[in-house]
This record gives sequence, C-alpha cells and structure tokens, in this order.
Amino acid sequence: MPSYELALVLRQLPRPELIGVIRRTAEAIFDKGGIIRKFENLGTRALPHKVSEHGVVHREATHFTIAFDTAPTKIADLKEEFGRDIDIIRRHIFKVEDPVEHKCTLHEEMLPPAYRKDVQEIIEIAKRKQKPKYNYNSGLDYYPFQK
Amino acid sequence: MLRAGYQLLNHSPLGAAKTGSNNFALEFVRWRRKPRWLPVAKSKVFRVPERKKQPEEERAELMRLHNHYKTQLRSVRQFLRAEVVRHEETSTADHIVLTPEQEEAEYQLCIAENAAWNAKIASERELRLAKEREEKVAYVQERLDAGKLREELRRERASEHIRHEIEQSKTFITRSNLDEAIETALANPVDHNFAIDMAGAMYKGRTTQSLGSSA
Repeated sequence: MPSYELALVLRQLPRPELIGVIRRTAEAIFDKGGIIRKFENLGTRALPHKVSEHGVVHREATHFTIAFDTAPTKIADLKEEFGRDIDIIRRHIFKVEDPVEHKCTLHEEMLPPAYRKDVQEIIEIAKRKQKPKYNYNSGLDYYPFQK
Repeated sequence: MLRAGYQLLNHSPLGAAKTGSNNFALEFVRWRRKPRWLPVAKSKVFRVPERKKQPEEERAELMRLHNHYKTQLRSVRQFLRAEVVRHEETSTADHIVLTPEQEEAEYQLCIAENAAWNAKIASERELRLAKEREEKVAYVQERLDAGKLREELRRERASEHIRHEIEQSKTFITRSNLDEAIETALANPVDHNFAIDMAGAMYKGRTTQSLGSSA
C-alpha cells in the first residue's frame, strides 16, 4: 500500500467538535482498510484569502495533516467522502514519494569555466568537429583542396 | 512567352514588312505562336503547302556527295570485316578442341580445387562457430549471474523495507489509541517553516521572532 498524506483545512470549531471531525476522518480511512501513521496539527491561522465552502465564508481555519497508507483504488472514495463533510474546507491527498538522492555539486559548478568538466567536454566536441587545416608552408606551390 | 525583338537577328522579309524598312526598330511580339493544344485554324485546314522546288544542279551535287560518302563507308566496313575474318582464321584462342579424356581431367581438376577451397573454408567456419558458441555461453552465464545478483539485491532491499515498516508499525495509530493520538496532536502543534541565513544557520518557526532573538 502506498503512503499518502492528507492535508486538511478545517472549519474553526470548538475543541470537542474538532476532535469529532478528525475522528470521523480517521474512521473513514480505517473503514477503507487504511493504516494511519501520524497526525500533525499545523495550528489555527488566518487563511490567505477568504474561502467560500459549503455555503459559508471562512477567513480562519485549522490546518491538520494525516499521514496514512491505503490502497490506491480507495483514494477516490476517500476524496468523495471528505468532500461531503461540511466541516472540511479544503482537502488534498498527496502521494508520499521517496526523497530524491542528489549530491551537492555546487563546488564544481563554482569553478572557472575552463576547469568545469561539462565545459571541457564541449570544447572536446568542438575540437573534433574542426576541419583539418592545410599548412601553407608545406612545400606545395598550389592549394591542393577545393576552396 | 514574351519575346521582345526576337526577329531582330533573322532579318525576315515579313518582319521588315511589318515594321517598314527599319531593321533597327524593335518589334514586340506578345505571342510567338498559338498554344500547342489549339487545333489548326478552320481557314487553314484544307490548305496544302506548296512543295519547294529544288534546283536540278543542287540535287545532282547532293546526290554525288551522298554516293561518295556511302562508297567510302562501305569500303571501310568491308575492310574491317575482312580483318576480323582473317584474325579468326589465324588465331587459335577460341577453337582448341579437347578430347573427352582431357575434358574429364580438367573437370576433375576443377572439382578437386573446389573441394580444397570448401574444406579450408569449412575449417575456418568451424573455428569461428566454436568461438561464437563459447562467447554466447559466457554471455548467457554472465547475464544469469547478474540476474541472480539483481534478484538478491531486490530481496535484500525488500526485506529491509519490511523490517523498517515492522519497526514503524509500533507507532501506528489504531482505533484503540485514536482519541489519545488526536489529543496529543492537538496539544502539540508543529511548524515546518524555517528561514536560513548566509552562514547556513536555520531559524525554525513561522514568525521571524526567533531570527531577531538569535541574531
């Protein structure tokens, strides 16, 4: 089962009701055969813009994330279910990707161009493309190639 | 199709008549003739052009030249033909007659030569095929080994992943500890925001207050 992260923007609610919304959401994931790894509360903050959802205008909201695993086929159902919940203003499900491994090459990139490996490769290619040049002092008194 | 003054060089009496007697004047002819796909004009359908009369002496002269030319060419041709016939009679290149025994011997010689060539090529081919077979076997063996190694690595990575997940599963949230987990999460809000300065120091938190305090 792939890992997903559910980012929720919840309506401003009193604490018991907030707990109820989160429990409802978690139960929905459990009902679909999912596993919950972690809860994260990102706090209650003003929204970046006013949001009209389920016929109500919201200016502040509680941000909450749930890290969970479930079958990919259940994601659409979950989205649909969360879309019907009037206490949820925004819901997005992201797939958790493995972090990309990359080496820091800043030191090489900061070198002067002549020392950089890619530049050297380009120079090598340019040299290969150059036509052999005729040497004029080679003893022939005429130009042997087509001009 | 536009030809300007094309009649200037061939001083035809017609052109001269059209432009008066001034040969230097340009005559603009928009259409040299009618297009090729148009039929003969109705007024010219039954016109029979008059045959040009050749003077008798000119005809005789042309005939003389023609006869002369033909005679010369005929003599050269006869000479060459005679030469070829003579050459064929004198040379022996083409018609040496072999006896059946000689022919058989030559045939056997050719057969032997051919068999020798075939044997040589066969031995070379045997060597080459053996080498190729060996290379193929080595290649297949190498691929098999690589595949085995790959599979081993994959299994190792998978079991590592499974071990990690089993380790992680201790902290998974279940129905039994759901309330507890929600309470804990609500009690501990997290903040992933941070700022970083030129020295690489990290200032955690959404607001810039920590920046002011640590600077």
